[in-house]
Amino acid sequence: MKRHHWIVRVTHWVSVVAITIMVGSGLRIFNAYPAFGRPGTKFCCYPFEGTPIPAWLTFGGWLGGARHWHFAMMWVLVVTGAVYMTFVYLSGEWRDLVPRRGDPRDVMQMIKFYLFIRKHHPRQGKNNALQKGAYFIMPWIGVLIVLTGIAIWKPVELAPLTNLFGGYLWARYWHFVGMSALVFLILGHIFMVFTVDPYAIPSMITGNYDERLSPEARDARPFYHLLPPPERKQP
Amino acid sequence: MAGGSLLLAACNSRGPKSAERLLDYAERKNESVERFLFRHTSMDMAGRNVPNTSAVPIYYIAPTVPIWNTAVSGPWTLEISGLVERPVTLTLADLQRLPSVSQRVNHYCVEGWTAVEQWTGVRLASLARMVGVRPDAHYVDFQSFDDDYHESWDIESATHPQTLIAYGMDGALLGPAHGGPARVYSPVKLGYKNTKYLTKVVFLPARNGGYWSDQGYEWYGGV
Repeated sequence: MKRHHWIVRVTHWVSVVAITIMVGSGLRIFNAYPAFGRPGTKFCCYPFEGTPIPAWLTFGGWLGGARHWHFAMMWVLVVTGAVYMTFVYLSGEWRDLVPRRGDPRDVMQMIKFYLFIRKHHPRQGKNNALQKGAYFIMPWIGVLIVLTGIAIWKPVELAPLTNLFGGYLWARYWHFVGMSALVFLILGHIFMVFTVDPYAIPSMITGNYDERLSPEARDARPFYHLLPPPERKQP
Repeated sequence: MAGGSLLLAACNSRGPKSAERLLDYAERKNESVERFLFRHTSMDMAGRNVPNTSAVPIYYIAPTVPIWNTAVSGPWTLEISGLVERPVTLTLADLQRLPSVSQRVNHYCVEGWTAVEQWTGVRLASLARMVGVRPDAHYVDFQSFDDDYHESWDIESATHPQTLIAYGMDGALLGPAHGGPARVYSPVKLGYKNTKYLTKVVFLPARNGGYWSDQGYEWYGGV
């Protein structure tokens, strides 16, 4: 039994490329007017009005180029996301991700474990409670980003959608906030993969995963018990 | 620019050469999606509680503010020509005598900002009826006296009820700062498609690019 179905593996890596280009080109587009208020007005809810994003984080070179990349790659991301979410729904894998009543308690146990308050790794299924929460919320943030993106792409032709998000200014703001939240979770994901469970990286390529090396088996925290446990001598 | 330009070394305005075809393809497909979504019944409306934007950026491509010089060029006129039955040349007074529309709408700039103004002018759809546009006219080119600035449009967007040949802004005659004596104004296209300092409206069988579209911004530029 593979840990990840090939559809999950393919959509994961296509998303890596697509999200990287979407975020980079989106930030370049943002830099053409790095603020949310109308010219000459103040905006309540963004502390860095007028401050551009560092250029090295952007992609596309200039506004027009970034727009072409953004409007091309958006289709790749939408199709990939739709394939992934359809698969998760039809395969029943959503049952591993959907929030349940015991989840807040399990999240607390994971946090206690990471803070060395709890000695041993909590029992878990495929994902621990923190992963579950992150992997459940990420596709929905993606849906929010896509809808707000369409809302600021077509604020006249699809005005009802734009109005749903509070108009163009707010839709643009939620598009940015959604992106920031997704990037935050992705950075957390990358950090945890490399510092807690690097053995999961091949599993997202080949699908194979050695449960004996799972974080639960190793009692692994970030940078802690990173190596496999020493093999016990047979009597 | 450091990372971006390093990554995009040896490339033109669309990015790496190898990506150019892909991005062109995507632009064409996006245009058909945008044309599919386009409706003459989709109207832009500025929020009633949103004040007019006092700080609308002033923009032109000439080295100095383009001001129509009556002493040199005679009185300003607007020529409506191309694939039409009855080409006309209108003075500002002629234009002002035609039935006018006032609309308070958003301006959507390609850079991402928006502004709200009240625009007064004549619907291009009415002018098109007046001059008798021929059925083979699928595009309209809006030309200006701001150097060689022009942008061509699909005729569907040009004849949208909110597409005006505007000569008034916020209750006053349109001044040189914002594209006077007259300019195209429509919320259905991004700002750069709305030619200021207008001199000619030419109906065409094929698209004719535009100042910014030729430099790599989307030709369609719909909102």
